[in-house]
Formats: sequence, structure tokens, C-alpha cells
Amino acid sequence: MSVNNTEMAVRYKNNFLKELEDQAEMGEWIKMCMQCGVCAGSCPTNFHPGWDHPPQEIFMMVRAGRREEVLTSNSMWMCTSCYNCYVRCPRKLPITHIMHGIANYAHRLGVAPKLQPTRNFGKIFWNNAAKTGRVNEVMLTVDLYFRNAEGKFDLMGGIKKALEMQSVAIGLVKAGRLNPLELFGGHKCKDQKGLQSMLKKARELEETRKALKAA
Amino acid sequence: MTSIVATNQTILVVGGGIAGMTAALEAAETGKQVVLVEKNPWLGGRTAQLYRYFPKMCHPTCGLEINLRRLKANPRIQVLTMAEVTGISGEAGNYSVNVTLSPRYVNNKCTACGECSKAVNSEIADAFNYNLGKVKAAYLPHDMAYPQRYVLDPSIIGTADAEAAKAACKVGAIDLDQQTETVSLNAGAIVWATGFQPYAAEKITPYRYGEFKNVITNVEFERLADPHGPTKGKILRPSDGKEAKNVAFIQCAGSRDENHLRHCSRFCCMASLKQTHYVQEAFGDEGKSTIYYIDIRAIDRFEDFYQKVKANPNVAFVKSKVARISEDKNGDPRLWGVNTEGYKRYSEPHDLVVLAVGMEPAVKGMAIPAALSEGIVADSSGFLAMNGNTGVFGAGCATNALDVNRAVQSATAAALRAIQVVNQVARAEN
Amino acid sequence: MSATMAEKKHAAYICSGCELGARLDVATLVKTATKEGKMQLVREHAFLCSAEGVAMIQNDIDNEGVTHAAICACSRRAKTEAFNFSTTAISRGNLREGVIWVRPDTEEARETTQEMAEDYVRMACAEVKAMTVPSGNPNVGGSKTLLVVGGGVSGMTSALEAAKAGYKVVLVEKTGALGGWAAQNYKRVPTREPFKDPEDTGVADMVSRIAADANITVYLNATVTKTAGAPGRFKADITVESGSTVTEDVGAIIQASGFTLYDANKLPHLGYGASPDVVDQAGLEALAKAANGGAIKRPSDGKEVKSVVFVQCAGQRDASGEHLEYCSGYCCNVSVKQAMYFKDANPDVDTVVLYTDLRLPGNGEDFYRSAQNKGVIFSKGVVSTVAASGNGLTVNFKDLILNEDTQAQADLVVLATGSVPTSGPDLDALNAAVVASESKDADIKAEADLQVEKLRAKSVLNLSYRQGPDIPHFKHGFNDSHFICFPYETRRTAIYAAGPVRRPMDMVQAREDATGAAMKAIQAVENAGLGKAAHPRAGDLSFPTARLEGCTQCKRCTVECPFGAIDEDEKRFPLFNESRCRRCGTCMGACPVRVISFENYSVNTVGAQVKAINVPDEFENKPRILILACENDAYPALDMAGMNRHDYSAFVRVIPVRCLGSVNTIWITDALNSGFDGIMLMGCKHGEQYQCHFVKGSELGRYRLSKVGDTLKGMGLEPERVFDTEVAITDIVTLPQRINDYAAQLEAMGPSPMKGF
Repeated sequence: MSVNNTEMAVRYKNNFLKELEDQAEMGEWIKMCMQCGVCAGSCPTNFHPGWDHPPQEIFMMVRAGRREEVLTSNSMWMCTSCYNCYVRCPRKLPITHIMHGIANYAHRLGVAPKLQPTRNFGKIFWNNAAKTGRVNEVMLTVDLYFRNAEGKFDLMGGIKKALEMQSVAIGLVKAGRLNPLELFGGHKCKDQKGLQSMLKKARELEETRKALKAA
Repeated sequence: MTSIVATNQTILVVGGGIAGMTAALEAAETGKQVVLVEKNPWLGGRTAQLYRYFPKMCHPTCGLEINLRRLKANPRIQVLTMAEVTGISGEAGNYSVNVTLSPRYVNNKCTACGECSKAVNSEIADAFNYNLGKVKAAYLPHDMAYPQRYVLDPSIIGTADAEAAKAACKVGAIDLDQQTETVSLNAGAIVWATGFQPYAAEKITPYRYGEFKNVITNVEFERLADPHGPTKGKILRPSDGKEAKNVAFIQCAGSRDENHLRHCSRFCCMASLKQTHYVQEAFGDEGKSTIYYIDIRAIDRFEDFYQKVKANPNVAFVKSKVARISEDKNGDPRLWGVNTEGYKRYSEPHDLVVLAVGMEPAVKGMAIPAALSEGIVADSSGFLAMNGNTGVFGAGCATNALDVNRAVQSATAAALRAIQVVNQVARAEN
Repeated sequence: MSATMAEKKHAAYICSGCELGARLDVATLVKTATKEGKMQLVREHAFLCSAEGVAMIQNDIDNEGVTHAAICACSRRAKTEAFNFSTTAISRGNLREGVIWVRPDTEEARETTQEMAEDYVRMACAEVKAMTVPSGNPNVGGSKTLLVVGGGVSGMTSALEAAKAGYKVVLVEKTGALGGWAAQNYKRVPTREPFKDPEDTGVADMVSRIAADANITVYLNATVTKTAGAPGRFKADITVESGSTVTEDVGAIIQASGFTLYDANKLPHLGYGASPDVVDQAGLEALAKAANGGAIKRPSDGKEVKSVVFVQCAGQRDASGEHLEYCSGYCCNVSVKQAMYFKDANPDVDTVVLYTDLRLPGNGEDFYRSAQNKGVIFSKGVVSTVAASGNGLTVNFKDLILNEDTQAQADLVVLATGSVPTSGPDLDALNAAVVASESKDADIKAEADLQVEKLRAKSVLNLSYRQGPDIPHFKHGFNDSHFICFPYETRRTAIYAAGPVRRPMDMVQAREDATGAAMKAIQAVENAGLGKAAHPRAGDLSFPTARLEGCTQCKRCTVECPFGAIDEDEKRFPLFNESRCRRCGTCMGACPVRVISFENYSVNTVGAQVKAINVPDEFENKPRILILACENDAYPALDMAGMNRHDYSAFVRVIPVRCLGSVNTIWITDALNSGFDGIMLMGCKHGEQYQCHFVKGSELGRYRLSKVGDTLKGMGLEPERVFDTEVAITDIVTLPQRINDYAAQLEAMGPSPMKGF
């Protein structure tokens, strides 16, 4: 599943654009950008201070071969999938998908920023949901809140965070969205075996597709 | 009934803008018979609606005056206004054309004295000024309108206003019984010079044109700057009549955009650079312009003009396709986006926003008669291109996004192509 | 009295329609025309432009022998077609736009408005009496053959298109083959849908079509060593390599002399000259031609190019003035095309285009997209230097998007250097050198002679015109027209520039331009054959004649003619080449002894009008202001002021002139002598951004008239009595204001002391 970062860098002889065209989903669109910047301006997180590089700048950095900077950037992880950039792009670049593609590639290379909140949440959510086919909200909260910056279990920090989010939790409970009993195993979808083999098959297909593209 | 003298050696020119007028005049001044068909009640097209030209900052009506004088002096050109070609059949050297004429309700006795206009009360949107103002329903479209004859808007036909206009006319020029008529004529060759339309800005939804009053288009801005426009040349913003001293120009409004127009419309960069002069002219150093652009396309000798504007401290350039416009409480449009030179986010209020809308060929969506579509093909943007050996030739902005100078060159070339066909007819008939 | 005088019959027609009858005392106007205008026939009509009114005039012409008609009705710009009687001399008294529409309809204004109208009737009568119906220039030539100088894409296109219309063409090419720069290219930028790939240059096809065309005669290795004559009757000496000369009779000329690339040797900082692997666009075409679709190899060692950087705007768009100031327009497309040469042969070649503004107008956007799709990288960056490093080149540049100084490695660098027109010598420089060569100082003379020789050697047309051997340059050495609406107007009649010699352009534009130039050349030979003028007075049959017995050989006319129409004969008298003339009248304005005139426009047609104006004495408190207004812009502006009912002073009398350049100072002195209080001169903008339709006319007129100060002083008059004001056609609101301000200024000054003399 994961790919060796150094190996890839060597394989593409620093032609980072080529690397992403082969390895990242929708990466072949990056070269079509004409640097108008409408994606950057259209992004609802445009004015979020923690955002390093807007899409068009990421694309330019890709062309300039700034590999490490791009792959370790938090930028792709800031995407909220609103698709504003995608619909506005005068070149019809599927920017949302490209950002996800680069993010996913960075993740596979293991160079994505550690505990970047979006990425972290994404990982926890996936692991949680893929287990039973249903999201266990209680375990999701525990996994999200009771870990420190290094990813270690942190009881005191978790309790502090839980108290902060108390009112949200009560609201969710009242609405029937959060059942405290799920701490002891929650609901699941019907065909557990089927679910797992479906996920396995999807992974296989994905790998085949990537291998084909890279070849 | 309108009568037209035309033979297989006649050249039909469709469209009476600067390209059509040029093609007609060049052919006629070479001794050819020409029929010039224009759908408006007047000749001159969109250049007549411009205040100044780049890069000379001279006035389009100056050239129009010369062209009209050439036309008035040349009996070889028959002009049909309020007319549209509705059918073409035949082949090079032998076309049969149907032209449908809409009623003007004013005949050629009209002396343009203006009495009918005084007698009429109804007002209609002023099309010449891109509907930014109103005119009487009996009107002379503009000061240099040719033919110099008034027009009665169809909306008043059958009302007391029409009767009042008729009663006011001392020379019997008003004919309320005029009907739409279709005439047939022969032509050996056809020049198709139907020009362009400004891209429909309301389709660019994030710019909120039509919704925010202070977001206008470049063609409308020409009318604001013109002393004969709706504001008598004062640059006042539509929402509250405040002087628009801080103007933003958004380039590629529709152009170079696969969601709108695939092509670059070529003239809009220069048009905006020119329009910064209007702001400067009106307000001196208090007038500020900001051009938001992707690439400044001040091509060939126009570069001089760009360099001069660039050197003006009152004009700023931001490399950015503006993402969206919001409106502040005081009516200021606020532009949002990112300056891509070094990634600088901005959220800038302006007094007025001018959208540099591009050119959409007027042939797009037009029912092109079959005989024409065989000889002429449209590219993916809808511009006409010649395809093979026919007697139909595109000219001006019907063929490409062109500035005035290039449109005139194109029309001059089209005139020769048409002459080649009719000369062949002449040689065959002799 | 000669017999011809006796045959003249003068008539005046006074319209009372359009409220003229209500606002004016028409009976008195009839009397004025009869008694003062001395018209033999005067008729009043209630609707003169109607079919009946026009028929009435036609009947008088046909049956009453009317030869001269003063039509006193609306402006000459209105109902022009109705009042077009081609065999009759016509003047127009502008009573509507010029009188009742610019005056308030009040009882107190009635008297001065009537006086205004009476003067315009007097003026129309006086003018028409001084006119003759023009008969056309008799000195016509019969040649309808076109000379095309230059055998590149532009010249070949002009030749083929003119031949297709049935005209004979002489095509002169200085090299040994047709095709020009295009023939040096491997492929060209696409000209049609889908605008995705380079296409065949089409040169071979054009060359074979020319060879097969019986209408086209080709001279290779040939230059035009002398061009004499005028439209319709040029004689062109064509000298071939062997030295022998053929003289061809031609009617019009298309100069398609093309361009050279800007010399990349002037760009050492970009590595040109230092490394053979830095080439210009032509250099790359040669490499691509050699590769013929295979891998392109670099010049230094024949290694396959694996990385190439294109540097846009090399030596162009240079505000410092050291290199080209302009943009050549085509180079972005060419670099896109050339980058595709590499990508199409081997997609793994790194191709980077460094630009500041990509300029790919129209469907160029599709070509740009296609290049990106093929993997060409475009970076917005400014290149500072190109230097050799190791086995390749380093391009140092500032990346404007990433905002950093950076570099790119390349096997090959292509500089997009742009084009320089082959437009012949700068005539101003040549004329200055010619003047210097007449110096008595031997050193100055020797240097000037050398300079003259050097500049003359650059000549393309070698015109034997007094005004110099070629078409004058406009900006940056291009022969372009300065007019937006009239791109083909050069300052030498029937000689048209086509292709990159007029402005930088690509092949698609050059073909379109060359076809247009062929159109204009054909039109020129047709009209020259009929003795008619070319643009902007197309079809005008009048032409200048000079009473040489009165000529003092001052050369003002030959020097000032903006179109180089006048040479000097062996006896140093002006020699008019009528078909070169554009009928602006600048020569007539310039002539101090007033010997030059047109049949329908002369010192007399205007002078008689000035004299016809009634100037009240100083006690009447009715000043008189003469306005001489350019008919192209100022007069229409005044007309439109009238159409909008913008009032102006009743004391002005307007006379339209063909151009401010045609204004002879005698009109000014006559007017001042007869007691006019002030004179307004209304002409078009002059200078670099001139708007004069006769190029230099308004400038020359202004310069000439700026000298009337001495005359005024001599008469004891204030300098303000002559007021030169620049007018644009759009000055409809401001012009009446300017007139009124001037009238108030004159009133404050008091009446002219010349009144009553």
C-alpha cells in the first residue's frame, strides 16, 4: 500500500510533474493550469491563515519540482471538497480531485504532515467506519480527543477536550446521533464479511489502476 | 414595396458595422454594385457606440463620418436598414437572397426635423446606449445615424402616440401602415459581416452582473464616458450616481474560459487600458484604476500604450482572475481573489467594476442559411472560416476576435474575394 | 466675356420647410439671393428635398440651362443624395443646422438670426459662382498591372489574389527563390480548427500556383532600382543579378518587403554568440528542418536535445530603449509551435517557455492548451542571464508566481527576438543627410555623403519622388497606417504596405493583410484610370492646377504636400502628379502667391464667401467672427450641435474647408481687413497622435497660421483676434461653449479697428 518516498524521487529523476501525472489521481491535469488564480480566490478557506499554498501555486511548485515542499504541505489537506474551484476553473481542471490525489499520494509516501487535523480525522474516520460499515460516534470521539500531539493516549487532555465539547455532545445525544452505550460496541451493517471483501476488492482495483498508469 | 436593383455581378454585404461598411465601400469604390443589409435602423455597428479608440484615443465617429460621406457620394451602394437576410440559395456567381425588412414607420421623406419625437410621450429603452437610458418612442437612434431618418418603435403602433407623431409630421414622412416585407434579390458574391455581441455577463454568476448595479460591462462603460451617453460623459456609478473614482477592470470576463468563451477576445486588454484613461481624464490623480488580469495582451505596437498606462501611478495591475464580487453596505462592489504573483490574498472594495467582456460571434445561434453553411464553417467558438471555393466570405468579427484595425483589414480582403467572383461572372457574361 | 461665361446660369433655391419658413423671412432671403447674390433664377420651395423639390431643380437644369445652383436649406451633410446633381456646380447654404437650430426661437433673437441666414445665402451664391464642375484629372495612366515588391508569404498572397481577380502582377523578389521567412520554417502555426498541431507552411503550394499563373511575372534575384511616375502610370526599373534592367509599366505598388529578425548578437547576456546552443527562432527552425520530425540535435555537439528553454520577449518590450520597444506579436505562438516540435518527436523532452505575458489571441488559446496538453511547461518569469554550465546551459530567471530567483538547466535555449521591418530608410534622416551633404565643410560633406549612400542603399522602392525614395515611416520604422479605421492609408498614393513591414504580424494576418492591400491596389488603378481621387476623397474628380506664370518657385507646395504628389520640373517649377494627389488642398493653402486651385475649391471659392459676408460697422455692436472649420470633424461637430439645439453666437459665420492645411492666409488677412472682429480656426488634432485625415494637413496649416501674428501686429490688431482651436467630432457640447466664450472675449476687447476702412 505505501510507497517508498526516496525510491519514487529517484525513479522520476526529480521530474515531479511526471511523478504526479503517474502516481496521483487526476495528476495529469496539473500541466493544464494557466495560473489565473481563480481557484485560490474561490476557495472558501481562502482567508484561513493556516493555509500554505493555494491550488494554482501548488501546481506551479509541482512544475518547478519543489517535491518535498509540496508533499509535506498542509495545503491539500485544507480542501473541504466544496468544488467551487472545480466549477470555476476556466480550464476545467478537476482541482478538488487533484488536491485529493496529491494528498493521497503524500499519505501513501508517508510524508504527509503528521496529525494534520483533516488528515488525522480522515484516518480515524475511515478506520472507524471501515470496521463495521457504520460510524461509531463514541469511539470516533475517543480516538479524536484522547490522543496528544504525538499520537499517544492522553486521558487528561481528552477529558479537557470532552468538557469543552460537552454541549455539542448533549445535543447529539438528544438528537439520537450519539449513543453512550456504543462505547461497548456499536451498530454495524448487515453483511460484515461482504463489506470487508468489497473493501479488499476496491483496494486491489486501485492498486492495479495505479500500476497500469505508472507503467 | 422596396425595390432593389441587383444582378449576378452584385455583391451582397450582410452587416453594416465597420467591417460591412468597409467591404461595401471598397467594392463600390472599385466600381462594383453593392447591396448593404443592416438589421439596426442605422449603420456603424458597435464601433459607433465606442467613445474612443485605442491606442490613438481618437473618436470612432470621426472615421464613421468619412465612411458615411463615401457612402453618400457613391450611388453604387444600396443600403437596406432594419433588414435581415432570411434565405440564400444558389451558388457562387448566382445567389438568390431573401431579405426581410421590418417597418420603420417613417419613409424617406423624413427630414430629421424631430417634430414627431416632440409629439410622442412614450419612452423606450435606449438601445444605442445599451439600455442605460431612455429615448422617446419616435427617435433618431444617435446623432450620426444613417439613414438620417427617425424610427417609430413598434410598441406605439396602434396607440394615440403614433397618431400624434403622424399628425406632427409636416412632410408626410410617417407611414403607420408599413408592414414587414420580404424582398428577393440576386447576388454574385456575399460578404458576411455580422460582427459580434458582447458576452452575456450575467452568465458569469460570481460577478453578479445584473444584480449589483455597480458591476457593468466594458461596452456600457464606453457609453458612460461618452459626452453623448446617458450621463453626458460623467463617470457616475449606476446605484447612487456617485462619481466612480476607484474603478476595477476585470479581464477575461467570459474569455479564455471553457465555461464561457474558449477563445481570447483580443481587444479587451487594450480596451481596459484605454478605459483607465477615461478615469484619469475625469478625475485626474483622484481617479484610480485597477486591472485584474491573467496576461496583458497588448500585442505588437500596442505595447507602447501598455507601457504608458503601466507608468501611470494611478493604475495598478493585479495578476489574478477575480474569484467573486460581493457588495458592501454602501454599494461598493468588493472583489475577492488571490494575486498569483507571490500569493497575496485580497478583498478590495471599488466604486465601480467594469467587466471586460469578450466577443461572441453574432453568427453563433443565428440560423445561417443552408447555402451559406456549405461554404462557410464555424470553428468551436462559432467564428466563421472559409471552406472551399464558394462565393460567400466572412469579414470582420464574424470571422475572428479582432480589433477595429484588423476587422477593417479583414473586410478589405473580403471585398477582393467577392470581386474575384463577380469579375469571373463578368468575364463569363462578356 | 467668353462664350463659356455666357453659358453659365446661376440659380438659388431656398427651402422654407423644417420651420425655416416660420423662423426666417424667406421673402427677404429670396431678395438677397437675387439682388446681392446676383442669381439669375431664385426659387422658394416648402419642401425642397422632396421628390417634387428635387424634380423642380432637375427641370431647371434640364430645361432652363441652370449650371450653378446654391441650395439654401439644410447642412451639406443632410439630404446629400437628394441634392446630388452631378453635372451642376452645387453649393449648400446651411440655414437649418447652421442657423435656426443654433439660435433661440425668441423675438429678440429674430433679427440676428435673420442676418445670419442672409449671410449664408450670400455666401452660398458667392461660392457657387466661383465654382466649376470638375471634369476629372486628364493626366491618367492606363496601366492596371500591379507591382508587388517582396516574394514572401505577403507578396505571394497579394500576387495570387490580384491575379485571381483578373489583374496582371509583376512580382519582384530579391533572393533566388520565393517563400521568404516562411520557406525557412519547418511548419507553421495552425490556421484552422482544431488549432492543435503545427501544419505545413503552404509555401510550396503557393510557389507552384504562382508558377502556373499566366497573370504573374516573377523576377528573382531582382530589385526595384527606380520607380517613377504616378498611379496608373508608374515606370518601375527592375534590375536583376546580371545587372540588366527591365522597365515595367505598372499602375499601383504593393510593398511586401517583410522583416528581419532582431539581431540576437545584441543580447550577449542571454548567451547568444557565447554558446552555439543559444539560437533565435529562425535558428531553431533550421534545426527542426534538419531533424525533419526526428529528434532535434543541438548545434555544439550534435547531441539530442533533452531539455529546451524558450525565452520570450528577448530584446523586445524593452522600456529602456536599448532594444525593441514593441512586442512582435507572433513569437508566443511560434515558441508554442517550436516547443511542439520537441514534444511531438519525443514527449520526454523537457520544454519550458518563460514568459511575462503570453500573447495568444483568438484561437491561439486552443493552441496554448494543446501545448500544455503535450506537456510544455509555461512559467511566468523574467530571464536575467543565460550562461554555459558544464555540458549545457543555465537559464537564470525570476519566477514571478513563486516569487523567487531560480534557474533552469537546458541543452538548448531559444530566444524569441521578434521582427524588424524592412521598410527602407527613414526619410527624415535621409533628408537631413541630403541637406548636410550640401555643406561647404569638406568633412561634414564627406560624412553626409556616406550617410546618404548608406541610407539610399536601404531603399526598397527607389521612388524618384522629390520627397524621398520610399514610403515614410511611422513609429518604430513600420510603414503602418496611423489610422484605425483606414489601415491601408500610406502617405504615397497607390503604394500600399502589406505584411510585417507595416506592423509585426503572423502568417495568418499577413495573408489577410496582403489580400486587403491587393484590393486597395486594384481600386487605385481603377480610379487612377478614371482620373478620380483615392481615399479619403475617393471619387473626387477635382485636381489642383497651378498658374505657373505667377509661380515664384518658393517650393512651399512641394515641401508641404503630405502625399509627395508634387515634384519639380527641369525649370524648378512645381510638377503636379495629379493621380498622386489626395485633394486636401495643402498646396493651395501653402502657396504665398495663390496660384494653386481646384475647380470646385479655390482661394476664390472661400475668399468670395468671406467677402460676401456683411460686416456691420463698429457702431452697430454686432461683431463678426469667421470660423474656418475642417469639414471632416469640426463641421460635423457644429452640425450635431445644431441637431441637439445647442445655441451659439449669432455673430459667427462658418465656412467649411477641406483641411486646415488648405487655409490660405489671404483669407485671414482679407477677413481682418474687411472688419471681422475675430477668426476661429477649427482643425483636427496634430502631432504624434494626429487625427487629421490628410496626415500632416492640420499641423502644416497650424504652423503656417501661427505666423499671422506679424500680420496682426502690422495691422495694429491684438493676437487674440485669430484663435486656433483643436476640435474633435465629439465636441458637440463644448464647441458652442468655446464659440460663445470667444465671442465674449472679443466683445470685451472691443470692435476691430479695421471696421469701416
